[in-house]
Amino acid sequence: MSKIVVLGAGISGHVAASHLRRKLGKEHEVVVVSPNSNYQWIPSNIWVGIGRMKSQQILFPLKPLYKKKNIGFIQAKAMSFHPEGDATETKPYVMVEYVTGSEKGKQEKVSYDYLINGTGPKLNFEATEGLKPGTNKAYSVCTYTHADEAWGGLKALIEEMKNGKKAKILIGTGHAKATCQGAAFEYILNVEQELRRHKVRDMAEITWISNEYQLGDFGMDGMLLSYGKKSMESNEMLEMIFKDRGIKWILGAGVTKIEDGEAHYENLEGEYKSEKYDFAMLIPSFSGHGFKAYDKNQEEITEKLFKGFMIVDADYTAKPYEEWSVKDWPETYQNPSYPNIFAPGIAFAPPHSISKPRKSTNGTEIFPAPPRTGMPSGITAKIVADNIIDSIKGNKTSLKHKGSMGNMGAACIASAGYGTFSGSGVSITTYPIVPDYEKYPDTHGRQLGKTFGEIGLAGHWLKLALHYAFIYKAKMKPFWWLIPE
Amino acid sequence: MSETAKISGFQRFVMRNPIIQFFKFIILSLKVLIIVAGGHGGTRG
Ligand SMILES: Cc1cc2nc3c(=O)[nH]c(=O)nc-3n(C[C@H](O)[C@H](O)[C@H](O)COP(=O)(O)OP(=O)(O)OC[C@H]3O[C@@H](n4cnc5c(N)ncnc54)[C@H](O)[C@@H]3O)c2cc1C
Repeated sequence: MSKIVVLGAGISGHVAASHLRRKLGKEHEVVVVSPNSNYQWIPSNIWVGIGRMKSQQILFPLKPLYKKKNIGFIQAKAMSFHPEGDATETKPYVMVEYVTGSEKGKQEKVSYDYLINGTGPKLNFEATEGLKPGTNKAYSVCTYTHADEAWGGLKALIEEMKNGKKAKILIGTGHAKATCQGAAFEYILNVEQELRRHKVRDMAEITWISNEYQLGDFGMDGMLLSYGKKSMESNEMLEMIFKDRGIKWILGAGVTKIEDGEAHYENLEGEYKSEKYDFAMLIPSFSGHGFKAYDKNQEEITEKLFKGFMIVDADYTAKPYEEWSVKDWPETYQNPSYPNIFAPGIAFAPPHSISKPRKSTNGTEIFPAPPRTGMPSGITAKIVADNIIDSIKGNKTSLKHKGSMGNMGAACIASAGYGTFSGSGVSITTYPIVPDYEKYPDTHGRQLGKTFGEIGLAGHWLKLALHYAFIYKAKMKPFWWLIPE
Repeated sequence: MSETAKISGFQRFVMRNPIIQFFKFIILSLKVLIIVAGGHGGTRG
């Protein structure tokens, strides 16, 4: 009998737990440890943030589902890792702390045979002074509670605009090394469309602020896309969209400080500037959770497990951008020191960024961290689950399933406005996610055709279809596994 | 940098026309499915 403990019930943790449960017999135990009682389909938060979806529509409680499916659930947060056990516990374990109810604050050792760390990112608002969702007129849409607050702020501003107020709206990244530009991109276009729907678009100046060197970098060094019969750089496509929507932009901006209605930033030219706003949505930097790890003698061994995020089978050798290779990226998400520990999704430490690192003339690093979107998070989680399943069934370690982000496609179906017939979407697919310059030297490391862009209503419908399909899948309804990650 | 492309009136019509977009939706869904279900693997040989 094996016990697999999954930390986190986000896209990666939940995907891993559901596949493990489906394919492993009852004699094996699958336990999920997560502080949030709900599963949330994060990509739809942008619609919660414009009031077109209620947060209840994007979430469901995990406990009843896990009970029904025979998956253990501990509503707690992981605190520290003990991959060798200790003097009293021979098995490896994770120290967890309960977060609700009468047991709140209680710590417990949760032992495991296999551990999957699917804890995603820490939303590191503290890294930017004054950036706290719901304060200083700045918001986030990274969780459903943040998105609810954002809609509250936006709704109030729309009412003021209806009464004649001219407003400035600022949307983008709130830190010099933030990632997840795609979410902010979706949100800015949705906000723009909502202002038109409320007939106050002419009262608002909307500005995109980002740490990207060019529009459409998305933390992926931009891309050359097939667009209709032409090919087009992603920056050209975004420029076209922003101009069409009357959205201004500020690039190469590392936001350093937020004050009430004012964002201070440094740009790549080394200038210190600020931008006033009446409503802002700024994505914070993502960091590791600051977990510590200990060996059986309680000596700290954090550096064996973490490099901010969790260390996996990547090549972490420091080298200049010109020497980066697609082979640096992990394939199995296994920790090299402890082979029974894995980290899919955002929880793994990337070997380096994908975008070219840039510094301001003052030496401040201003460039996006590498994104790990929903699709690779799900795919990497399934790879990890499949390897663990094979290892348990075959009674010996198996790492047959591999999936590097350098040999994996991703689709970013970005909503550009909500509405059955008035909606729009910008659909961008990329193959591979991490450019492979050896394989595709003439097309910026990506395969044209599989890397394409489309704009139109169909994108909105697809994003909505994915919302329903992925919530169906997450609820583990009949034949859920037929829906790909 | 080349001059920014503009979304023409015809392109806008295509982007918003529900009938054309219905067919685009089918094609787009299949293309995305092919890319996602098209497999993945290692890079180190
Ligand atoms: C607004 C927004 C829109 C997005 N839109 C898209 C999109 O359209 N398409 C797309 O592909 N991707 C999108 N993404 C990205 C996508 O949501 C992420 O890639 C994905 O959620 C990452 O999955 P994950 O499981 O690694 O992390 P998460 O989904 O963040 O899950 C982490 C889990 O770990 C839990 N956890 C945290 N701390 C602990 C702890 N100490 N112990 C135990 N558990 C813990 C959390 O509660 C959570 O359940 C979007 C992201 C945002 C913020």
